[in-house]
Amino acid sequence: MSNENTLLSIKDLHASVEEKNILKGLNLDIKPGEVHAIMGPNGAGKSTTGYVLSGRDGYEVDSGSVTLDGEDLLEMEVEDRARAGLFLAFQYPVEIPGVSNLEFLKVAVDSQREARGEEALTSAEFLKMAKEACKQVNLPVSFLKRGVNEGFSGGEKKRNEIMQMMLLQPKLCILDETDSGLDIDAMQVVANGVNSQRSPERSFIVVTHYQRLLDYIKPDFVHVLADGKIVKSGDASLAKELEEQGYAWLQTEPTEDELED
Amino acid sequence: MSEWLQQAIARADSIQDGFEDQRAASLALLKDIKWPTRKTEAWKYTPLRAVERSAAIFKEESPELDPVAVEGLEFLELTFVDGQLVSLPEELPEGLSIEMQESSLFGTIKPERHIFGLVNDVLAADVAVVTVAEGVVVEQMLRINNLLSNGAQGHIRVVVDLKAGSSLKVVENAEGQGASLTTAFTEYQIGVEANLEHYRFALQSGDNVAVGGSHFKLFENAVMNSSIIGFGSDLQRIDTDIIYAGEKANAKLNAIYLLDGKELFDLHANVEHAVPNCTTEENIRGIAGDNSRAVFNGRIHIHRDAQKTLAELNNRNLLMSNKAEINTKPELEIYADDVRCAHGATIAQIDKQALYYLQTRGVSRSQAQLMLSFGFINELIDQMPTVELAEWVRPIIRDRFAQMEVK
Repeated sequence: MSNENTLLSIKDLHASVEEKNILKGLNLDIKPGEVHAIMGPNGAGKSTTGYVLSGRDGYEVDSGSVTLDGEDLLEMEVEDRARAGLFLAFQYPVEIPGVSNLEFLKVAVDSQREARGEEALTSAEFLKMAKEACKQVNLPVSFLKRGVNEGFSGGEKKRNEIMQMMLLQPKLCILDETDSGLDIDAMQVVANGVNSQRSPERSFIVVTHYQRLLDYIKPDFVHVLADGKIVKSGDASLAKELEEQGYAWLQTEPTEDELED
Repeated sequence: MSEWLQQAIARADSIQDGFEDQRAASLALLKDIKWPTRKTEAWKYTPLRAVERSAAIFKEESPELDPVAVEGLEFLELTFVDGQLVSLPEELPEGLSIEMQESSLFGTIKPERHIFGLVNDVLAADVAVVTVAEGVVVEQMLRINNLLSNGAQGHIRVVVDLKAGSSLKVVENAEGQGASLTTAFTEYQIGVEANLEHYRFALQSGDNVAVGGSHFKLFENAVMNSSIIGFGSDLQRIDTDIIYAGEKANAKLNAIYLLDGKELFDLHANVEHAVPNCTTEENIRGIAGDNSRAVFNGRIHIHRDAQKTLAELNNRNLLMSNKAEINTKPELEIYADDVRCAHGATIAQIDKQALYYLQTRGVSRSQAQLMLSFGFINELIDQMPTVELAEWVRPIIRDRFAQMEVK
């Protein structure tokens, strides 16, 4: 059982994709309000962590446990994990033409409110909320009418992810390489969006390959993930150290795990 | 030969006074024709029992029927009830004319191979000829209404002639009450640099039997954009032919079908690239539920001289029940060597990645499936150029789709 004061508790997690072991004993405890950065080389299992926690098909948990707010996360359906407060901002958000962004957001927010026993929002209330969220991430309101991520640029997709996070008000946000493919201006918008959502009740896992995002989103802890487990943890200064040294020092033996996207 | 066809021929024989050569030729062809069976390629998956058994009659008197209203749009209405032309627009914009007369275009765009097209040649009493004068852009939409009362049989025919540089928007709207039978054929000549925006709504279901076609001939730099939306019924068959007669012409065809119960819907789309430098884009999407059967045949024929043709045909289908059936057959016949041509036909379940994405936002799996299935066809509705029509048809399709889910 996890500590009362722990939001997320990952214990000795082993997981595989297509029968290939990716996570090999991951341990991580996150308390409410904390921001944890997970860094590491390609193929270390960074994206896999997000997929396993969110319950993606094809990501098999072999052993270990994960609890969110004391509940067994691994037993839940994908949507129930989201309703329990988990949010994954994708590195490559999916385009869904034909489903309007607004409709999608409304259904998502309604589903979560219903699961939490809250009253449904009226269309007008929701529209107002959605427009405000749009403004906060610098997306034109007209984007609400378009298909989900349809024809959005890379940066627009990332901002759309952050907008969803703002509307869904999760307890734990996993940002999967949200900085990839963004220029400095776009990254700042994303970082501002994230920072505006920081609160004593909300925790973040910021997965990134580069240190630069962490200049904008200041982490409380930095972990280095290599070959499926955390090999080093520290405070924000560890990120600087990694920036200077790279990940070469980790590679005592070559990993063949280049499976990750 | 079927009894139904014999009756049709007998009727044509009795009214053939005044047929021009073209209709007389069609009658001669019909008298020799073999009634389609399962062995007839063009009708392989579409049995004609519903026609053979139809008791729909030619009514002496028909009730007054009005076409459905579409919010935000006021059409120029060309309305047929039980095959008889009952109303024409009182006032026409300048440069647009509608006349009831023999047209030299009659039967020149619709290919002879369509058996029900031949039936229509000889049984469509009132042939309407719509002409848009050179360079005239008609803003108001023309709607051709094919309304059928209970148990009625009716055959309608419209010929549309867009002169060079003209522009027209046409909606073909079919509404049939129970147990009706209709053939509805339209022919469009799209002149040099002319532009046609076209819709064909075939939203009758139940025991309606409807066979028809929309046929287009495009001249140099002509542009057409067509959307066909159909529900199934006892028998619903649409043939389209897109024929390029001038270079650098461009056609886009989107079609949606949504079938339930024991319905049958059959779309045969044929494209003749007879000249170089033309572009075709076809997006055909369907959902078949319950015991229904969808048939799609998409032929693109690129003739030997049709170099630099660009043609894409995409047919995607979703099956909602294991008893539903989709028969899809893309046919590319390419005789030119410098063309870009792509086709694909899929019968699939829902996109798993999109499903997962929606679920990670808290949307239940079943609701996500619903959203994605609807989105799959809604994407084509979104592409309809006239927004008012999209807004009108979207809830109709959504309702039908919601009903399908319950079963």
